[in-house]
Amino acid sequence: MAITRRQFLKGGGLVTAGTLFGPGFFGHGLLRSAQAALEDNDRYFVVIFLNGGNDGLNTVVPVDNVAGLRAAYDAARSSINITPTQLANSLIGLDPISGTQLGIHPGFNVPNGYFDNGAGAGGLKSLYDLGKVAVVQGCGYPEYSLSHEEARIIWQTGVPLGAPAGTGWVGRYLAYEYAGNEIPAVNIDDSIVGEFRQTGTSVLAVRDLENFRFPFDDAYSDDDAAKAAAFAALNQSAVSGAQPAALFIGNTGLATYDAAAAFQSLSGLYEGDRAAQSQLYSDVGRSLAYDLRQVASVIYGVEQGVPNVSARFFQVSNGGYDTHSDQGGADPNGQHFSLHAELGGALKVFYDDLASMPGNVANRVCVLVWSEFSRRIVQNQNGTDHGSQGPMFVIGGGVQGGVYGRHPNIEASALDDEGNTTYTQDANSFRSTDFRDVYGTILKHWVNLPPATVQTLLPLDATAEALADPAHYWRSANFDLGFLP
Amino acid sequence: MADGTPLTLQHARHLLRRTGFGASQAEAQAFLAGHSTRGAAAEALLKFKPAGFKAGGNDHDVIHDKWIKYMLKVKAPLQEKLVLFWHDHFATGIAKVYYARLMANQNKLLRLNCRGNFKTLVKAVSKDPAMMEYLDTVRNYAEVPNENYARELQELFTLGVKDSAGVDNYVQDDVAQIARAFSGWTYGKAAYFRSWYHDYTDDWPQRGPKVIYQSTGGFGPAGRSFTVNGEGAQEVDAVIDIIFEHRDSQGKNTVARRTARRLIEYFAHPEPSLAFIDDVVAASGFDVDFEITPLLHAIFVHDDFYLTAGSPVGVATRKSVRWPVDYVVGSLRLLRMKPKGRYQYIDGGGYNRVFDQLSNMGQLVFDPPSVFGWDWETSWVSSSTMLARYGFARDLTAARGGGSTAFRPDKLMNLGLTDPNAIVTAATDVLGMTGDLTAGEEATLVAYLTDNGAVSTLDLKDYDTRNRKLHGLFTLLMQMPAYQLQ
Repeated sequence: MAITRRQFLKGGGLVTAGTLFGPGFFGHGLLRSAQAALEDNDRYFVVIFLNGGNDGLNTVVPVDNVAGLRAAYDAARSSINITPTQLANSLIGLDPISGTQLGIHPGFNVPNGYFDNGAGAGGLKSLYDLGKVAVVQGCGYPEYSLSHEEARIIWQTGVPLGAPAGTGWVGRYLAYEYAGNEIPAVNIDDSIVGEFRQTGTSVLAVRDLENFRFPFDDAYSDDDAAKAAAFAALNQSAVSGAQPAALFIGNTGLATYDAAAAFQSLSGLYEGDRAAQSQLYSDVGRSLAYDLRQVASVIYGVEQGVPNVSARFFQVSNGGYDTHSDQGGADPNGQHFSLHAELGGALKVFYDDLASMPGNVANRVCVLVWSEFSRRIVQNQNGTDHGSQGPMFVIGGGVQGGVYGRHPNIEASALDDEGNTTYTQDANSFRSTDFRDVYGTILKHWVNLPPATVQTLLPLDATAEALADPAHYWRSANFDLGFLP
Repeated sequence: MADGTPLTLQHARHLLRRTGFGASQAEAQAFLAGHSTRGAAAEALLKFKPAGFKAGGNDHDVIHDKWIKYMLKVKAPLQEKLVLFWHDHFATGIAKVYYARLMANQNKLLRLNCRGNFKTLVKAVSKDPAMMEYLDTVRNYAEVPNENYARELQELFTLGVKDSAGVDNYVQDDVAQIARAFSGWTYGKAAYFRSWYHDYTDDWPQRGPKVIYQSTGGFGPAGRSFTVNGEGAQEVDAVIDIIFEHRDSQGKNTVARRTARRLIEYFAHPEPSLAFIDDVVAASGFDVDFEITPLLHAIFVHDDFYLTAGSPVGVATRKSVRWPVDYVVGSLRLLRMKPKGRYQYIDGGGYNRVFDQLSNMGQLVFDPPSVFGWDWETSWVSSSTMLARYGFARDLTAARGGGSTAFRPDKLMNLGLTDPNAIVTAATDVLGMTGDLTAGEEATLVAYLTDNGAVSTLDLKDYDTRNRKLHGLFTLLMQMPAYQLQ
């Protein structure tokens, strides 16, 4: 990932050198910095979207500080609260300013046997204990939306204010870096997800790698080549025409045909070489685990050098977080417990799988977990309504684990009129983490983009309100949150 | 006067395609012969008597297949297109509702009201058990109201978050107030999931002033109180009455504009002008009495409705992408084929269930992805979903068994044709694509039929020639971009 060969070649004076002398030239140590950048070109980035609005307050929970955060927590959560005892096996670090001991939901530390054959045991907590999980607290943005769709689009585009951007925050990077015929990104879904949306390059939406092949009429396979040629010409015709919808479909048709040829072998290759790891995803048995197995299959294919497969960016999602009712607290049969168990279990299996691939791939994979909003601080009867800032997770072998960012202020007196925590960039003790600083830290420290480029991909808030009130808008970026070296 | 505007053959085909599941050239000609003006055509299409929905069974696939069967058989396809629209508009999913019976009952409700009064429909849906389950009205208790339904009622079913000038239509306090009106409702399973009551006695005194739209809606700073008819069960209808009086920042009826826009986006094209929207609202009086039939009539006779009638390549206005259900049902209807057996297999190629194929294309009725319904237009299009469409086209034309589940081109066109150009024309006529192809695309298909000129004529009566090339031609037509558009 990082700086690709092509971008390096685009970069100016060295174009000639690269072109004239070829890759062998870089072996001579004369262009060490360029070579180092190219060596970075083996990283991967995985985005996991928790669809529905994950309840952050029951995801990262204050354990002690009975006069402060914990008291406010107990006041807000009467029946879905999680007690310090229930959190005893899932303690993480301290909240940086208040010093409050924090715990992650007990669903993140499922016992051996929660899933079949002990798969995923220990979940996210075991990865945290390895130092591979950054918990980033209080992530949000100004003028937050309580609408699922509006909030999701804001997170996907990275543009909260003004007109929707129309492109995803990762998508803008992809368009900047890659050409139209490359497939740098794959999402496991029927449609291309918002984070990856742009028009410069091809993104593959795959529901099921195993069945990803172009369908021909088996009874007349002698005609396949003729059909393929006509199919390509008809799509090319649409690409050359004036009709925008036909153009989009034509481009998709052409990319799909090429991708089907390249990607259809990946599932078989993975299943053949890594049957034991594959079984663990089946043992977890939730859709998120199956989807991450497909990501692992593609990564494995890239690592094995399968021709025309070079994807570096992936997205999967998990649904069910809209817990207006029957959310459950620490009860293993509760909705929220189950959601966290499947996220943690699937991530544990995924991480172990990558770590055991040749070349320790886990050190080269960074996973980002987000949701479109957190939920109301005060619960309703047995669930929670839509809220504002919440925690994000960053997971990977290269991640510097720990607690980052500050817990939002959940005192009743500090909540806004809707009963949600408020966004602030004021340097007070409850400063929020703007989600664009998280994105920017990844683009700067994982993708290795220069900060100025990151800033163009993630523009600062610039409305009149933002300019007048920099303490409550994102007016100065911090792309060094620290969870990546 | 658009009503009297003569209908052309191309426009007749466009009208039938947009209001139904596609029409062959012959069907368009027959329709034109009976209806020479846009007004007469619209009136004929809207004349159908809404029919109910009978679905037994407790499983999603059973009621799904039942509805698909309705669509395949229906004589008035506009009814099914409308019910599908309302199902998307009032998106409700069986994954959360759980009871197929509730979903089927809701479908019947949408059916009976599909071209009736929109305000009546919103009031009925608000008390529909499936909706009450899906958006938590049954879990909305007075002590701490659950805001789910109150939010979506405004955001998705009536007002929209913002008006056409980008101004907010409501504020969070309106959501909180309206949630209180919807608190305390439940339904009884014994009475076929139909009984309901308002649990007002459990209310807490701090319910709030019950005044909404103090900062939006054109009511002035006093807003409107929804207890004008007293407190209790009637509050929810009072809320809806107020919502239907809401005015946007330009002084126009907010519900009328937004509903008209959605219907235009669904039936005409995705980027309508504001003038198109305001024209049809004014012509139909939809902002006064919210009758759906006159609104649809006004849309179907408007000049802008026909902007996208021509060939995709020649039309600059963005055309609509066919929905997966439309792709599947339309193709089966045009090819006069049926799925096989009670589990609806396509009898060729991969022998897949229609249910599974639609799932892979990204649309299962009764199971929209969220309360927002499906994402339309190019969101239908990805490598994954297009492969499912390509596979469906292949399966249809590889159905070589006998009877009504087989692909039988002899029933659709003259197999005595030998000229490759005439064969391409005949196939496009069958699929309702007459004039949709460019000369270059036709040449591509002729080159395919003749293996780049290796032969000059085809004998379609020869089994292998027909199965290799004519079946292949239909496959390619159904896979090409033009066929994905409408």
